[in-house]
Amino acid sequence: MERNGQGALARAVAVVIRPRNLALIACVIVAGWLVFVPLAALFYTAFTEDTGFGPGPASLSNFVQAYSSWHIVRLFGNSLIFATGTAVVTLLLGGLVAFVVERTDAPLGPLFHSLALLSFAIPGLLTAMAWIFVLSPNIGWVNALMKQWFGLSEAPFSIYSMGGMIWALASHYFPLAYLALGPVLRVLDVRLEEAALVSGARYWQVMPKITLPLLRPAILSTTLLLFMLGMSSYEVPRLIGRPARIDVFTTEIQAATQNAPPEFGISSALGMTLLFICVVAVFFYRRATRNAEAFATITGKGYMPTRIKLRKWRWPVALGVLFMFFLALGLPLMTLVWQSFFRNLAQPFIGSASPFTWENYAFILHYPIFLDAVKTSVSLAAMSATLVVALTFVMAWIALRSAPKSGWLLDSIAFTPIAMPHVIVGAAVLFAYLMLPIPVYNTIWILLIAYVTLYLPYGMRFISGGLTQIHKELEEVAEVSGARMRQVFFMILLPLLAPVLLAAWIYIFVLAVRELGASVFLIGPGTHVLGTISLTMWEEGGSYGAVSALGVIQIIPLIVIVAGLRWLELRVQRRSEAAAAKAQAG
Amino acid sequence: MFAIENLRKTFVAPGNVVVNAVDDISLGIATGKLITLLGPSGCGKTTTLRCLAGLERPEGGKIVIADQTVCDTARGVFVPPSDRGIGMVFQSYAIWPHMTVFENVAFPLRVARDRKYSNAEVKDRVLRSLEMVRMAGYETRPATQLSGGQQQRLAFARGLVREPKILLLDEPLSNLDAKLREQMRVELKLLQKRLGITTVYVTHDQSEALALSDEIAVFNFGKIIQRGTPQEIYRQPKSQFVADFIGSANFLKGKVKDVREAEHMAVVETAHGPFRCIFGQTVAAGQDVLVSARPEDLTLSDKPPGDGLNALTGKVSHRVFLGEVVDYLVDAGDGEIRIRAKPEAEFHIGQAVHVGVSPQKCVALPS
Repeated sequence: MERNGQGALARAVAVVIRPRNLALIACVIVAGWLVFVPLAALFYTAFTEDTGFGPGPASLSNFVQAYSSWHIVRLFGNSLIFATGTAVVTLLLGGLVAFVVERTDAPLGPLFHSLALLSFAIPGLLTAMAWIFVLSPNIGWVNALMKQWFGLSEAPFSIYSMGGMIWALASHYFPLAYLALGPVLRVLDVRLEEAALVSGARYWQVMPKITLPLLRPAILSTTLLLFMLGMSSYEVPRLIGRPARIDVFTTEIQAATQNAPPEFGISSALGMTLLFICVVAVFFYRRATRNAEAFATITGKGYMPTRIKLRKWRWPVALGVLFMFFLALGLPLMTLVWQSFFRNLAQPFIGSASPFTWENYAFILHYPIFLDAVKTSVSLAAMSATLVVALTFVMAWIALRSAPKSGWLLDSIAFTPIAMPHVIVGAAVLFAYLMLPIPVYNTIWILLIAYVTLYLPYGMRFISGGLTQIHKELEEVAEVSGARMRQVFFMILLPLLAPVLLAAWIYIFVLAVRELGASVFLIGPGTHVLGTISLTMWEEGGSYGAVSALGVIQIIPLIVIVAGLRWLELRVQRRSEAAAAKAQAG
Repeated sequence: MFAIENLRKTFVAPGNVVVNAVDDISLGIATGKLITLLGPSGCGKTTTLRCLAGLERPEGGKIVIADQTVCDTARGVFVPPSDRGIGMVFQSYAIWPHMTVFENVAFPLRVARDRKYSNAEVKDRVLRSLEMVRMAGYETRPATQLSGGQQQRLAFARGLVREPKILLLDEPLSNLDAKLREQMRVELKLLQKRLGITTVYVTHDQSEALALSDEIAVFNFGKIIQRGTPQEIYRQPKSQFVADFIGSANFLKGKVKDVREAEHMAVVETAHGPFRCIFGQTVAAGQDVLVSARPEDLTLSDKPPGDGLNALTGKVSHRVFLGEVVDYLVDAGDGEIRIRAKPEAEFHIGQAVHVGVSPQKCVALPS
């Protein structure tokens, strides 16, 4: 009996110490630590008494304090209206663009696609800032122009309102809705619509009876995604909502940690609600995307796109969409650029007092905190992109190839942060490392930990997507040919996956450079990142010119990087198409 | 040569159902022979091949390849695929798209650990391998610019370049179009004979199995149902499954009346009178059996067949002209019988006919 027991133990140990299983265990520990330790700290802080010197005994006092005033009702109302409004407006704008690009013969489709991708390079903080320059009742130039033209005594628009907040965020996110809905519209099997036409339906009946119901899962999932983004948005509520006294969860959670003394307990108790809402949204999001497959609108074979012929409306429609891009992205950006060349407030089309000058740029480029922040942000972004790509590469490989049975575990761990808004990650990481005896607080390492956690899902999604494109037999035949695991990894897998890894790296790099929501919790006296110095400069009364120049200096390299990514993507796409065409011919 | 003993491998299917993918299989073949693992999808043939390659880890059993024990679960021996000295060709060909034709073939030599190959030697061997599969002159082509048939040849060249002890082929022809497939089948057979390499061939295509094999192992539900030469498998199936899966067969229900061990014959009472049959699996008097007869072994005539033949009568119900042959369906009262006939003699629909078949071509199968 005893011998058998020992044999079983030895066998179990032998199974565990196989290299693949060791890698699996290591990944689970690292990713699990990154995701669950902060979450645990958040829960712990929420459900214990806030003594002012760290968590005390278990208690619900934080919840009583956070949820017992009428203020909470307004908080709920604001957050839900803001997130829902953003989702709806964004979906309408993005859906319209997607429809025009994918289902009509309007020209300029590729341009819109590139513009949508480029919009992604613009940090949300700067969009919000730029909209204030455009639509603020006091300094907004569009308002000033309107007043002048129509002889109004009051500004016709105010960015400092719920509508203004929704517009500022929706104008930033609508390209995302287009990018999400476009592919669905593209692959929707036209024959399903044609079958309806042949069955006797009129053209105007097909849209509501066939097309929209078929698109329902995609629309639902995109709406949920946008709702979640609205819920998690920090930049717009901070810059626009706060002065307008429109509080939402994200700003309240952050504000509580800035009180004197800091109210971590209340902050985490409020965080629970935000986290809960996002988890529910993610749950339904995943269910909707799963059902989307069941709908099987993608048949793949014999697909022949028939587009609505706009005839003489082709160009007007395309120009209309172009105008929308101009309104949503061009207007704020150009305002920001314009302002960056003047020291004081400069409203386009309205006589400006101060002369054109480069001095704002000279100031920023010699501003020591800026140079410091650039260094920190760039190195942080590079490190987090590298770490996330490396970690998710191994995780995705194990999940898909080596241990498909335990793969779901890695998958779920890596995807958990999707449901965690940046402020939640920021707060949770802060609480965790204030409690743990790991001295990373007030260093860039605590930011790195938060960034890696935040971007795990993006890395996982990119890389497992890329890995599923690579047939398993390509690796197996290498093994059978005599290659060791290491050789399979470096000689087969890495070269094949290189474009995907590079794209994931750049993507995460851009996201990390733009990061603000988590960073505001984690910067210390000695550490600054680009997002936080921009915020500080704005709120603490830097000159309009300097703040704008600071923004433009950030946007330009990001646009160059994203354009480079797009170029790389197009090249890879064209190369594989060319190869396929040649193989067909050969 | 290789030998597999008591191989077992289970999978957990969705819904936590444990599937015996390979259920206690023993198998082996002598050096230089080609054995085909044949069966429908999900029968365990590919899993067996992958266990042989080391790509799956069996739960039980022992595998020996050319005198080296590569897997023995009882002793905890498991040699990884890289060290088994095998060549393998996959269904998808698995040509590495980031390498040229030359580099694809050279890969096994470049990663070899048992000996170091000089550059000249690598070049020499790669060129010889490519020549063998008639792909010489393509060395510098990117692998993505090859047609399906060329990728197929390239995969063979790569599998053979190390002169492996054993060649494993996982449905290598199934992605080719019909004409190319037949051509490759002939080439493959010639190549295998010329090199004298022990080969395991997995397929679900019975005609490939019959054409290529020295021996066939028919798989179903993770077990080997029957093993034998192509002739044995085709002529003396031991079960309805084998008779039906390999070629096509007519089945008549009956009961064994008499077994004549000496002649290796059984007399089976059917609805059409007594049929004399051979049998692969022993049958006993009184047992319910199926009489299996292949469509091409049946003859059609307007006169009763000669003495010594099993006979039945019926009416022609369908007729399909296929060029070299004509398929007839004959309504025999208790079911339809398929007959494949030469196109010379013509029978029209509704005509009363006599069907005859030699007892040597009738097999009694336990039902």
